[in-house]
Amino acid sequence: MNDHDLRSLFARQRQRDQENAPAWRPELLNRPLKPQRSSLRWLPLSLATACVIAMALFFADSPKHDAKLSELPPLLDSPPGELFASLEPAFTAFEAPSDFLLPTHLNLHIP
Amino acid sequence: MERAMADQLEALHPDAFGWALHCCAGDHARAEDVLQNAYLKLAQDRASHDGRSSFKTWWFGVIRFTAHEEFRRLRYRESLVGKLLALFIEEHHPAPSRQVEKDERSAELRRCLVQLPARQAEVLHLVFYQDLTINEAAQVMRVGLGTARQHYERGKARLRTLLQSDSHHE
Repeated sequence: MNDHDLRSLFARQRQRDQENAPAWRPELLNRPLKPQRSSLRWLPLSLATACVIAMALFFADSPKHDAKLSELPPLLDSPPGELFASLEPAFTAFEAPSDFLLPTHLNLHIP
Repeated sequence: MERAMADQLEALHPDAFGWALHCCAGDHARAEDVLQNAYLKLAQDRASHDGRSSFKTWWFGVIRFTAHEEFRRLRYRESLVGKLLALFIEEHHPAPSRQVEKDERSAELRRCLVQLPARQAEVLHLVFYQDLTINEAAQVMRVGLGTARQHYERGKARLRTLLQSDSHHE
Protein backbone atom coordinates (compact mmCIF):
# COMPACT_ATOMS: atom_id res chain seq x y z
CA MET A 1 0.00 0.00 0.00
CA ASN A 2 1.64 3.23 -1.14
CA ASP A 3 0.89 6.91 -0.53
CA HIS A 4 -1.48 6.98 -3.47
CA ASP A 5 -3.60 4.19 -1.96
CA LEU A 6 -3.68 5.93 1.36
CA ARG A 7 -4.69 9.18 -0.28
CA SER A 8 -7.54 7.50 -2.15
CA LEU A 9 -8.72 5.88 1.08
CA PHE A 10 -8.79 9.23 2.82
CA ALA A 11 -10.48 10.83 -0.20
CA ARG A 12 -13.21 8.25 0.01
CA GLN A 13 -13.70 8.93 3.68
CA ARG A 14 -13.77 12.64 2.99
CA GLN A 15 -16.48 12.16 0.39
CA ARG A 16 -18.54 10.11 2.86
CA ASP A 17 -18.13 12.71 5.60
CA GLN A 18 -19.10 15.55 3.31
CA GLU A 19 -22.25 13.73 2.25
CA ASN A 20 -23.24 13.55 5.90
CA ALA A 21 -21.98 16.92 7.04
CA PRO A 22 -24.56 19.26 8.56
CA ALA A 23 -25.69 22.05 6.28
CA TRP A 24 -23.94 25.38 6.48
CA ARG A 25 -25.93 27.73 8.72
CA PRO A 26 -24.68 31.30 8.58
CA GLU A 27 -26.92 32.23 11.50
CA LEU A 28 -24.46 30.36 13.74
CA LEU A 29 -22.07 33.25 13.29
CA ASN A 30 -24.56 35.78 14.58
CA ARG A 31 -26.29 33.84 17.30
CA PRO A 32 -25.62 35.06 20.82
CA LEU A 33 -23.79 32.66 23.05
CA LYS A 34 -25.99 30.42 25.11
CA PRO A 35 -25.25 30.63 28.79
CA GLN A 36 -22.87 27.83 29.65
CA ARG A 37 -24.18 25.31 32.08
CA SER A 38 -21.49 25.04 34.58
CA SER A 39 -21.48 23.23 37.86
CA LEU A 40 -19.32 26.06 39.22
CA ARG A 41 -22.00 28.65 38.55
CA TRP A 42 -23.79 27.90 41.82
CA LEU A 43 -20.62 27.51 43.85
CA PRO A 44 -20.45 31.03 45.40
CA LEU A 45 -24.13 30.96 46.34
CA SER A 46 -23.83 27.47 47.84
CA LEU A 47 -20.76 28.48 49.82
CA ALA A 48 -22.46 31.60 51.17
CA THR A 49 -25.54 29.61 52.21
CA ALA A 50 -23.39 26.97 53.90
CA CYS A 51 -21.50 29.68 55.81
CA VAL A 52 -24.71 31.30 57.00
CA ILE A 53 -26.13 27.96 58.17
CA ALA A 54 -22.87 27.02 59.93
CA MET A 55 -22.73 30.36 61.74
CA ALA A 56 -26.37 30.11 62.75
CA LEU A 57 -25.82 26.62 64.18
CA PHE A 58 -22.67 27.70 66.00
CA PHE A 59 -24.29 30.64 67.71
CA ALA A 60 -27.46 28.71 68.50
CA ASP A 61 -25.61 25.88 70.30
CA SER A 62 -22.80 27.78 72.01
CA PRO A 63 -23.26 28.61 75.78
CA LYS A 64 -24.08 32.17 76.57
CA HIS A 65 -21.02 34.11 77.60
CA ASP A 66 -22.78 37.26 78.58
CA ALA A 67 -23.61 36.16 82.14
CA LYS A 68 -23.71 39.10 84.47
CA LEU A 69 -21.02 39.54 87.09
CA SER A 70 -23.65 39.89 89.77
CA GLU A 71 -24.81 36.34 89.04
CA LEU A 72 -21.37 34.89 89.84
CA PRO A 73 -21.10 33.10 93.24
CA PRO A 74 -19.14 35.02 95.92
CA LEU A 75 -15.75 33.35 96.23
CA LEU A 76 -13.43 35.78 97.97
CA ASP A 77 -15.79 37.84 99.96
CA SER A 78 -14.56 36.68 103.39
CA PRO A 79 -12.96 39.48 105.48
CA PRO A 80 -9.21 39.38 105.85
CA GLY A 81 -8.12 37.81 109.12
CA GLU A 82 -5.49 35.72 110.78
CA LEU A 83 -4.15 33.02 108.44
CA PHE A 84 -4.87 29.95 110.65
CA ALA A 85 -7.72 31.45 112.54
CA SER A 86 -10.20 29.03 111.13
CA LEU A 87 -8.24 25.97 112.32
CA GLU A 88 -9.35 24.25 115.45
CA PRO A 89 -7.12 24.81 118.50
CA ALA A 90 -6.86 21.06 119.07
CA PHE A 91 -5.24 20.65 115.63
CA THR A 92 -2.57 23.26 116.32
CA ALA A 93 -1.87 21.89 119.78
CA PHE A 94 -1.51 18.30 118.60
CA GLU A 95 1.84 16.68 119.20
CA ALA A 96 2.74 13.29 117.89
CA PRO A 97 4.45 10.83 120.28
CA SER A 98 7.51 10.70 118.04
CA ASP A 99 7.96 14.45 117.83
CA PHE A 100 10.82 14.27 120.32
CA LEU A 101 12.86 12.36 117.71
CA LEU A 102 12.87 15.27 115.36
CA PRO A 103 15.49 17.95 115.69
CA THR A 104 14.19 20.87 117.55
CA HIS A 105 14.53 23.28 114.67
CA LEU A 106 12.26 21.14 112.50
CA ASN A 107 9.34 21.33 114.84
CA LEU A 108 6.79 23.73 113.62
CA HIS A 109 5.08 25.93 116.03
CA ILE A 110 1.95 27.29 114.62
CA PRO A 111 1.07 30.44 116.42
CA MET B 1 -18.53 39.59 11.06
CA GLU B 2 -16.83 40.44 7.83
CA ARG B 3 -18.41 39.12 4.70
CA ALA B 4 -15.09 37.78 3.39
CA MET B 5 -14.52 35.77 6.54
CA ALA B 6 -18.05 34.35 6.43
CA ASP B 7 -17.43 33.29 2.83
CA GLN B 8 -14.19 31.57 3.79
CA LEU B 9 -15.91 29.76 6.63
CA GLU B 10 -18.69 28.63 4.33
CA ALA B 11 -16.19 27.30 1.80
CA LEU B 12 -14.31 25.45 4.53
CA HIS B 13 -17.42 24.18 6.31
CA PRO B 14 -17.43 20.58 4.93
CA ASP B 15 -13.70 20.12 5.59
CA ALA B 16 -14.03 21.78 8.98
CA PHE B 17 -16.71 19.26 9.84
CA GLY B 18 -14.44 16.43 8.67
CA TRP B 19 -11.69 17.76 10.92
CA ALA B 20 -14.07 18.13 13.87
CA LEU B 21 -15.25 14.58 13.22
CA HIS B 22 -11.66 13.38 13.38
CA CYS B 23 -11.01 15.35 16.59
CA CYS B 24 -14.09 13.68 18.13
CA ALA B 25 -13.04 10.15 17.11
CA GLY B 26 -15.86 9.86 14.59
CA ASP B 27 -18.65 10.93 16.94
CA HIS B 28 -21.02 12.81 14.65
CA ALA B 29 -23.07 14.55 17.36
CA ARG B 30 -20.03 15.71 19.30
CA ALA B 31 -18.37 16.94 16.12
CA GLU B 32 -21.42 19.09 15.39
CA ASP B 33 -21.29 20.54 18.91
CA VAL B 34 -17.59 21.26 18.64
CA LEU B 35 -17.98 22.98 15.29
CA GLN B 36 -20.90 25.03 16.56
CA ASN B 37 -18.92 26.12 19.62
CA ALA B 38 -16.01 27.08 17.38
CA TYR B 39 -18.35 29.22 15.25
CA LEU B 40 -19.68 30.85 18.40
CA LYS B 41 -16.14 31.72 19.43
CA LEU B 42 -15.77 33.61 16.16
CA ALA B 43 -19.15 35.29 16.55
CA GLN B 44 -18.13 36.48 20.00
CA ASP B 45 -14.67 37.60 18.87
CA ARG B 46 -13.11 35.15 21.30
CA ALA B 47 -10.85 33.99 18.47
CA SER B 48 -9.49 36.13 15.70
CA HIS B 49 -7.16 35.48 12.80
CA ASP B 50 -3.97 37.51 13.16
CA GLY B 51 -2.62 36.65 9.72
CA ARG B 52 0.46 34.78 10.92
CA SER B 53 -0.77 31.59 9.26
CA SER B 54 -3.27 30.81 6.54
CA PHE B 55 -6.93 31.13 7.43
CA LYS B 56 -7.51 27.39 7.07
CA THR B 57 -4.59 26.51 9.33
CA TRP B 58 -5.73 28.97 11.96
CA TRP B 59 -9.37 27.86 11.76
CA PHE B 60 -8.44 24.20 12.11
CA GLY B 61 -6.35 25.10 15.14
CA VAL B 62 -9.41 26.74 16.71
CA ILE B 63 -11.53 23.66 16.02
CA ARG B 64 -8.86 21.39 17.47
CA PHE B 65 -8.59 23.49 20.62
CA THR B 66 -12.39 23.59 20.98
CA ALA B 67 -12.56 19.80 20.63
CA HIS B 68 -9.96 19.41 23.37
CA GLU B 69 -11.92 21.76 25.63
CA GLU B 70 -15.07 19.77 24.98
CA PHE B 71 -13.26 16.53 25.69
CA ARG B 72 -11.96 17.80 29.01
CA ARG B 73 -15.42 19.00 29.99
CA LEU B 74 -16.98 15.68 29.09
CA ARG B 75 -14.36 13.72 30.95
CA TYR B 76 -15.21 15.49 34.19
CA ARG B 77 -18.92 15.38 33.60
CA GLU B 78 -19.14 11.72 32.80
CA SER B 79 -20.27 9.69 35.75
CA LEU B 80 -20.85 5.99 36.02
CA VAL B 81 -24.56 6.57 35.56
CA GLY B 82 -23.84 8.71 32.51
CA LYS B 83 -21.73 5.99 30.97
CA LEU B 84 -24.41 3.38 31.59
CA LEU B 85 -27.01 5.67 30.09
CA ALA B 86 -24.82 6.29 27.05
CA LEU B 87 -24.35 2.56 26.57
CA PHE B 88 -28.11 2.04 26.76
CA ILE B 89 -28.82 4.83 24.28
CA GLU B 90 -26.20 3.59 21.84
CA GLU B 91 -27.56 0.07 22.04
CA HIS B 92 -31.10 1.14 21.24
CA HIS B 93 -30.45 4.14 19.01
CA PRO B 94 -27.10 3.88 17.27
CA ALA B 95 -25.28 7.21 17.00
CA PRO B 96 -25.43 8.89 13.59
CA SER B 97 -21.72 8.28 13.11
CA ARG B 98 -22.36 4.57 13.37
CA GLN B 99 -25.43 4.76 11.22
CA VAL B 100 -23.84 6.57 8.34
CA GLU B 101 -20.62 4.61 8.29
CA LYS B 102 -21.86 2.00 5.89
CA ASP B 103 -18.80 2.22 3.67
CA GLU B 104 -16.67 -0.61 4.98
CA ARG B 105 -13.35 0.84 3.80
CA SER B 106 -14.05 4.17 5.47
CA ALA B 107 -15.04 2.41 8.66
CA GLU B 108 -11.87 0.35 8.51
CA LEU B 109 -9.75 3.45 8.02
CA ARG B 110 -11.37 5.16 10.99
CA ARG B 111 -10.88 2.02 13.11
CA CYS B 112 -7.19 1.96 12.25
CA LEU B 113 -6.74 5.69 12.82
CA VAL B 114 -8.21 5.35 16.31
CA GLN B 115 -5.51 2.80 17.12
CA LEU B 116 -2.72 5.22 16.22
CA PRO B 117 -1.29 7.69 18.73
CA ALA B 118 -3.33 10.90 18.54
CA ARG B 119 -0.59 13.05 17.01
CA GLN B 120 0.14 10.51 14.28
CA ALA B 121 -3.54 10.20 13.41
CA GLU B 122 -3.89 13.99 13.36
CA VAL B 123 -1.01 14.61 11.01
CA LEU B 124 -2.17 11.86 8.64
CA HIS B 125 -5.69 13.26 8.58
CA LEU B 126 -4.44 16.80 7.94
CA VAL B 127 -2.10 15.73 5.15
CA PHE B 128 -4.10 13.05 3.36
CA TYR B 129 -7.67 14.12 4.07
CA GLN B 130 -7.31 17.90 4.23
CA ASP B 131 -4.48 18.19 1.69
CA LEU B 132 -2.36 20.33 3.98
CA THR B 133 1.41 20.28 3.82
CA ILE B 134 3.30 18.82 6.77
CA ASN B 135 4.33 22.36 7.69
CA GLU B 136 0.70 23.51 7.78
CA ALA B 137 -0.25 20.42 9.76
CA ALA B 138 2.49 21.27 12.26
CA GLN B 139 0.99 24.75 12.67
CA VAL B 140 -2.48 23.34 13.30
CA MET B 141 -1.08 20.87 15.81
CA ARG B 142 1.21 23.48 17.38
CA VAL B 143 4.30 21.32 17.08
CA GLY B 144 7.56 21.84 15.27
CA LEU B 145 8.05 20.79 11.67
CA GLY B 146 10.52 18.06 12.60
CA THR B 147 8.14 16.58 15.15
CA ALA B 148 5.26 16.66 12.68
CA ARG B 149 7.40 14.97 10.04
CA GLN B 150 8.36 12.26 12.50
CA HIS B 151 4.70 11.68 13.46
CA TYR B 152 3.83 11.61 9.77
CA GLU B 153 6.41 8.96 8.84
CA ARG B 154 5.75 6.75 11.83
CA GLY B 155 2.00 7.13 11.49
CA LYS B 156 2.06 6.23 7.84
CA ALA B 157 4.07 3.09 8.44
CA ARG B 158 1.86 2.04 11.34
CA LEU B 159 -1.34 2.78 9.44
CA ARG B 160 -0.20 0.63 6.53
CA THR B 161 0.51 -2.26 8.87
CA LEU B 162 -2.84 -1.87 10.60
CA LEU B 163 -4.77 -1.66 7.33
CA GLN B 164 -3.04 -4.73 5.96
CA SER B 165 -3.58 -6.79 9.09
CA ASP B 166 -7.18 -5.60 9.22
CA SER B 167 -7.81 -6.72 5.64
CA HIS B 168 -6.13 -10.10 6.35
CA HIS B 169 -8.49 -10.69 9.26
CA GLU B 170 -11.56 -10.14 7.07
